Amino acid sequence: MNPQFIMDGLIAGALIGLGAIGVTLTYSILRFANFAHGEFLSWGAYLALAISGSIGFLSANLTKPIAPFSFGWSLPIAALLAVLLTGVLALALDAVLFGRLRSRGGAVIILVMASFGASLALRSLLEFLFTSKPAYYTKALQIAVRLGGGLRATPDQLLVLGVTLVVVIAIHLLLTRSEIGRSMRAVSENPALAGIAGIDVRRIIRFVWFIGAALACIAGIMTGLLVQIRPYLGHDLLLPLFAAAILGGIGSVPGAMIAGLIVGLSEAAAVQLVGAEWRAAVSFVILVLVLLLRPRGLFGRPA
Amino acid sequence: MTAAVRPTPALATQALVAGYEPDLPIVRGVDLSVAAGELLVLLGPNGAGKSTLVKAIAGVVPIHGGTVSIGGRDITRLPAHRKISEGLAFVPQTENIFGTLSIHENLQIAAAVLPREKRAARIAAMYDRFPDLAVKPARLAGSLSGGQRQMLAIARALMVDPQVLILDEPSAGLSPRIVAEVFAMLTDINASGVTVVLVEQNVKAALAIASRAVILVEGKIRHEGSGESLQNDPILARLYLGTGQTMKADRS
Repeated sequence: MNPQFIMDGLIAGALIGLGAIGVTLTYSILRFANFAHGEFLSWGAYLALAISGSIGFLSANLTKPIAPFSFGWSLPIAALLAVLLTGVLALALDAVLFGRLRSRGGAVIILVMASFGASLALRSLLEFLFTSKPAYYTKALQIAVRLGGGLRATPDQLLVLGVTLVVVIAIHLLLTRSEIGRSMRAVSENPALAGIAGIDVRRIIRFVWFIGAALACIAGIMTGLLVQIRPYLGHDLLLPLFAAAILGGIGSVPGAMIAGLIVGLSEAAAVQLVGAEWRAAVSFVILVLVLLLRPRGLFGRPA
Repeated sequence: MTAAVRPTPALATQALVAGYEPDLPIVRGVDLSVAAGELLVLLGPNGAGKSTLVKAIAGVVPIHGGTVSIGGRDITRLPAHRKISEGLAFVPQTENIFGTLSIHENLQIAAAVLPREKRAARIAAMYDRFPDLAVKPARLAGSLSGGQRQMLAIARALMVDPQVLILDEPSAGLSPRIVAEVFAMLTDINASGVTVVLVEQNVKAALAIASRAVILVEGKIRHEGSGESLQNDPILARLYLGTGQTMKADRS
C-alpha cells in the first residue's frame, strides 16, 4: 500500500473536518441538520473567485504567485472578504427562512426540509451565475515536495493543513476560553435556561450562523484551490461532513476535526484498497456504523 | 385630607393571562402584588398554574394578556435575558444549572450581565456565601449532588444582585435535611433585602418561612393570607385534599 494515501487522507480530512465543525456547531445550537451547509462551501469558493478575479482585473501584480504557492495576494484578500460575505449570506438565510420558521415554532423536520429547499435554490443560483463549468483560482503548476517516509505534498497542500490547524485551534480556544464561547456552550445545552441566565440567545444563534458559514467558506476556498471550483463542490462533500460531525459527536469541535481526518484517511485508504469508485461509500458506511453502535459519537455527550 | 401613598410593589402582575398556547391559557387573569422585602409563597394543587405563572413572569412562557412590572417598570414584553437587567432572577425547578459547564463557568455566565469590573468580586462573594461551591470550582456542575445543584442555581440567580428572586419548587427531589438548609438560605436571602417569590408543594415548610401566601386554583388566585394564618386554615386542606381537615403533614 502506497503511504501517500496518508497525506491524501490528511488533506481531504482537514477540509472535511473544517466543514464538519460548522455543521456540528449549527446542529448543536439550532438543533437541526442544515443540509444547505454544503452550499456555504460552494458560495464561499465562488465569492472568493469573483473577488480575486476583480482584484486581478484592477491590479495584475496581485495575481502573481507568492512563492512557493500557486496563487497571488489577490486570493488571501478575496478570502477575507468572501468569509465575511458568506457569513452575511448565512445570516440572510436565517433571517428570511430559518428564523421565521423557528419563531412559528416549526418542527425540526420542517427546518430540515427547508434546508433542502435552500440548498437547491442556492446551488441553482450559483449554476445560473457562474455556469457548471469548472473554474480555478490559478492554473499555475506546482511540484510536490518530498516530506520523507514516501510522502509528498505541494506547498498549497501544506498550507491547507497549516491553515486548518490554526483555524481549529482558534475555534477551540474561542469555545473554551471566551465569554461568547461559554455562552454558545450554554445555549447548546439549554437555550431556555441560557435566556434566564442573561444570555441573548438570538445573538448567539446569529454568531453561530456566521462562524459556521465562515468556516465553510474557508473549507470551500481551500477545496477550490486544491481541486477545482464547481457549483456541486459543497453538495458533494455533504455526506462526509455529516459523517464527520456525527462521528465526532455533535457539538464537539475537536471531535469534528478528528473525525474529519478519520473520514478522509478512510476514504484515501478505500481508494487504494478497493478502488476509487467506492470512495463515496466510505462516509455512508461510517455514518451508519456510528448511528448503530455509538450514536453520540466519539466525543459527544450522552443524550 | 391626603390619601396614603401606596409604595410601589417590587413585583406586580395585572390581569395576567399566560400559557403555551394562546387558545389554552393556564394562567387566567392573575393580579399579584408583592411588596419589597416580602417572602411570598405561591401554593396550589397540581395543575393550578403556579409554575406557569412564574415562568411567564420570567419570560419563559408566552404572555397573552395583562402586564408584569418590577419596581413599577413594565417588563411584560421584555425577553427573558433582559428581565435580569431589570432586577428579576428566576430559578427553574429542573435543569436549573448548565451541567456540561464547570461551577465557575456557571457563575461566569450569570456574571456576564454585570459590568466587567464588578464580575470577579461578585463571583468571590458567591463563593463566600456558598463555600461548598468554592471547594472545586472547576468541577463539572453536572456531577454535583441535588443540594449542591440547588445552591449553584441560587448562586447563579443571586449573581446579578436581583430585586426579586423567584424560585420554582426548590425543595423538589431533595432530602428533608437539604430542604431545611435551602429554606434557611432563602430566609437569609430574604432578610438581606431580596424580595422572594417561592412556588412550593412542601406546604408546611413553605408557610413556616412565608410572610404571605397566595393560593392559586385553575389559573386564578383563590385565597391569600399570612403564612401563619394559612397554616391552620381549612381552605388549604380543602383545596389540596378535598377535605375539611387542617394541614397536618407535609405534601413533599
